[in-house]
Amino acid sequence: MNSLAKNNKKNIWKYLNSDEGSAYVFILPSIILLFLFIILPLIMAFGLSFFDVPMTLNSAKFVGFDNFKEAFQDKRFLNSLKVTLIFTAIEVPIQVFGAMIIAALISKNNISNKIFRAIYFLPVICSATAIGIMWKMILHSNVGFFTYSLQALGLGRINFLNDVHLTIFVVTFISIWRSFGVSAIIYVTAIQNVNGSLYEAAQMDGAGKIKQFWNVTVPLIKPTFWYILMTRLAGSLQIFDIIFMTTNGGPNYTTESAVTYIYTRAFSSESRMGYASTLSVILFFIILVVTVLLYKKMNAEEE
Amino acid sequence: MKKSNAKGVIAKIPAYIILIIIALLVVVPLLWLTLSAFKEEKEILSYPPTFWTHSFTLDNFIATNKRIKIFRYILNSIIYSVGTTALAVVVNCMAGYAYARKKFKGKNGFFLMTLATMMVPFQVIMVPLFLIVYKMGMYNNYWGLIIPRVAVAGSIFMMRAAFSGLPKELEDAARIDGLSEYGIFWRIMLPQVKSSVICLIILSINGSWNDLLWPMIVASDTNMRTLANGLALFVGQNSIQYGASFAGALISLLPMLILYIFGQKYFVEGMASSGLKS
Repeated sequence: MNSLAKNNKKNIWKYLNSDEGSAYVFILPSIILLFLFIILPLIMAFGLSFFDVPMTLNSAKFVGFDNFKEAFQDKRFLNSLKVTLIFTAIEVPIQVFGAMIIAALISKNNISNKIFRAIYFLPVICSATAIGIMWKMILHSNVGFFTYSLQALGLGRINFLNDVHLTIFVVTFISIWRSFGVSAIIYVTAIQNVNGSLYEAAQMDGAGKIKQFWNVTVPLIKPTFWYILMTRLAGSLQIFDIIFMTTNGGPNYTTESAVTYIYTRAFSSESRMGYASTLSVILFFIILVVTVLLYKKMNAEEE
Repeated sequence: MKKSNAKGVIAKIPAYIILIIIALLVVVPLLWLTLSAFKEEKEILSYPPTFWTHSFTLDNFIATNKRIKIFRYILNSIIYSVGTTALAVVVNCMAGYAYARKKFKGKNGFFLMTLATMMVPFQVIMVPLFLIVYKMGMYNNYWGLIIPRVAVAGSIFMMRAAFSGLPKELEDAARIDGLSEYGIFWRIMLPQVKSSVICLIILSINGSWNDLLWPMIVASDTNMRTLANGLALFVGQNSIQYGASFAGALISLLPMLILYIFGQKYFVEGMASSGLKS
């Protein structure tokens, strides 16, 4: 008996030390964690969207498609989708094309370009909290330094963070300010990987710098372009931090994004977890459809 | 030759002007925040506003300790980012290693599942994730803050790429020397991909230090708040003290700035190769 147990133990260790056995040990923690904290919640989000969950979290009532019906008539939710789309429609093109142009200007490895790169990347490492505190005060309607500077230039006192028409653009600007450095740096890496002899060939053909960039660089960094387009798009559709820190959806809901509204629905005094899940599921499908369409377009273009 | 050089310089001027304007747009606000953290509240609220500090004071930093539990928040932020990162290195490196160098049944299935989780936006699962953490009894404690953030498909993907590049002889030699599979991973292979591990560490520390949404959801107790969400909630109050919030923001930025100064290369490499940052 004893020797059998010993033998068993030995066999188990032998298996765990084999190529296959050890592989399972290596992936097990990640599989458990990813399942428990990403896949399971995703499944639950779908399930919860058919329930009404009160704030106490003690009970859940099945309500069928009621939450979905409500969502499509919920003016505040539809408005939050509109805000998210406006935000995305401005942010993504600027990130994708603006960062590409900037990257082209700073891709050569000389000292001034290295300094520019280091500076542009700076906001990326800062927290949304600090950035929010900073911009909120710089754009303060009375004592904001930027507000005052514009006023001193004779441009009038602009109420950047409390204007139903303007504030959405201000929030978009802050968001771009915060993260264009990532896109630019990724482009720089891609541009630097382009084979230098290709430029020489183009130069021999008499192509100018701009033409070289357009004809040689752009086609070769297309994969990076698609990558940035897709990640930025998914990111923009989920905008939360910067809005939460600067306007919290105001004024008059004109900057309330989908996620800001979902957050309010789930975790504030207006909490309804089931309904919040329904909204999340709808947002998930929007992101999924957009990503799949883009992915198809990318594949079609590569062929 | 000389002529074309001069022409080149002139052609570059508009580009330089644009680059410098953008650089100023980045630097000036951050500089203003830094200077303002040392101003008296009176000066901060004065009109016209000032750029340079006229009334130098450290009161704002002292106030952060009186008005909010700044030391507690710093401690929580350290526990959150270091805890998450330490576990993330072990878990994600192990998985990346297996996917890069081992043959096993179901490998493709598991790897696809891992990749698929990259497509799931955190914002979409935050409600049920909160419920899971709550039901597991991890609400308002460090485990709830840390554990769900450890496994990251992007990091696994990055480490898989790093491990794939190593020569097979390395493993074989170690196996002949009698090392176990785990010894080979830990003592031979992992040190070979040091720079990728540093990328992972830096991105993970930066990500959790700055994380706002998850701590907001799962660490609402005043003793559990991190710097990011503690400050955010402080600013959200009506009776806000601006100087203290600037000082708090500056305190939250400094460690990341130091990390950036010493590890700029890794920040850039990590973000370019895993694209984790939203």
